[in-house]
Amino acid sequence: MASASWRKLHNAWEIQTRVIHALIIRELSTRFGRQNIGFLWIMVEPLLFASLVGLLWSVIKGPEEHGISVVAFAATGYIPLTLFRHGVQRSVLVFTINSSLLYHRQIKIIDFIFARFIIELLGCMMAYLFIGVILIATGYMPIPSDIRLFLAGWALYALFCLSICLVLSPLSEVSEVMEKFIPVTTYIVLPFSGAFNMLSWLTPSMREFLLYSPFVNGMEMMRKGIWGEKVTAYYDVWNPVICSALLIAVGLPLCRRVRRLLAVE
Amino acid sequence: MIICRNVSKEYRHAGQRKQVLQGVNLTVNRGDRIALLGRNGAGKSTLIKLIGGVEMPTSGRIEHSMSISWPLGFAGGFQGSLTGYDNARFIARIYQRQYADIRAFVEDFTELGAQLRMPVKTYSSGMRARLAFALSLAIEFDCYLIDEIILVGDQNFHRKCRAELFEKRADRTMILASHDTGTVRELCNRAVIIDQGQAVAYDDVDFAVDTYTAL
Repeated sequence: MASASWRKLHNAWEIQTRVIHALIIRELSTRFGRQNIGFLWIMVEPLLFASLVGLLWSVIKGPEEHGISVVAFAATGYIPLTLFRHGVQRSVLVFTINSSLLYHRQIKIIDFIFARFIIELLGCMMAYLFIGVILIATGYMPIPSDIRLFLAGWALYALFCLSICLVLSPLSEVSEVMEKFIPVTTYIVLPFSGAFNMLSWLTPSMREFLLYSPFVNGMEMMRKGIWGEKVTAYYDVWNPVICSALLIAVGLPLCRRVRRLLAVE
Repeated sequence: MIICRNVSKEYRHAGQRKQVLQGVNLTVNRGDRIALLGRNGAGKSTLIKLIGGVEMPTSGRIEHSMSISWPLGFAGGFQGSLTGYDNARFIARIYQRQYADIRAFVEDFTELGAQLRMPVKTYSSGMRARLAFALSLAIEFDCYLIDEIILVGDQNFHRKCRAELFEKRADRTMILASHDTGTVRELCNRAVIIDQGQAVAYDDVDFAVDTYTAL
């Protein structure tokens, strides 16, 4: 009995990974085509964002702040932020946009969310790697002092972004009001994203308040992982884990419910 | 076998409700060729979409013990901005088939030639029908769901469908929504009339067609 249900789960896993793989390829070829650099475009936007903001900040704030290169600090803040913003934008009405694919019964609606999120994730990671190598080579960024802490922070940040998408996608299908609010919300989130400063630069009461934000916890981990002893970081690993788990627990049933109501042309 | 148990479907939009199907019970046996008859808007396409798993019933259950094609119709199943070849590639991937085999069959069956390198949105409905049939035949389903589209093709397409679907795959199950009573009489062994949300199955196709014509 146990082995039968295990095999069933294993089967379902195989089908879904195949479907998500196919969806990613399909999405990349519709979005970027096969001309010039093709799918490498996915990393261009985060890259441009990070480098231009970095330049802008270094003009406004000078080359260093709290002993850290402003360009490198901007890059480490903006790339995760791009992941969040793009992830959210791409998840709006994702079921309706892809509804003609629901004709194939092995495609489940959360595959659409996963496929798009993975594309954004890959794009941002490639951009991060690219910009990181350049900044390290030019001496703006140190070689990461604890790469595992950095990766753990990135994983938690990404997990939280994904869990937001899992809630927003079904909500955007049922409510047009919701859909209109999403651009504003991504803007309101900015101060709680941890992109602009370390918590140790703030007042204790502000710090305590911002530690409620899963973004900030992930961001602090990433920056501690890069700069190590040069910065003081405040974070709680459990905050993003618990927040993500809660959102997923809401998002998955919501997706299921919306799937039942979805009218496919 | 496909069994619909007490299947109802209701669409809701902006506070309005439309009950399309109401407590439909239907059993489709292996090898059946079932015609779905009904006036425009009666719910033929809806029933086909429910059986195909494209939409979910509001209440009731649909059980099946054979592989069922996606509904072959005017809409759905394709990504319009992708080429015919890209769609074939996508379908080969998600149904775990060899792309080379699918490609060969599609080229042969559709006779679309260089058009297969064009986005599907530039296709006429006849061309789409060819592509949809070619792909679903290449995958080999136990049951084919055909929503009207069989009528749009030209003589050559009809001939091919006849050879590939109704002769070579005569053992397959088929559910066919159509207004063409001639086709229905010729191809189907059972008929279901959908009217006012109810589905009534008839074993005598001629009688069903006459009843439908009188609606």
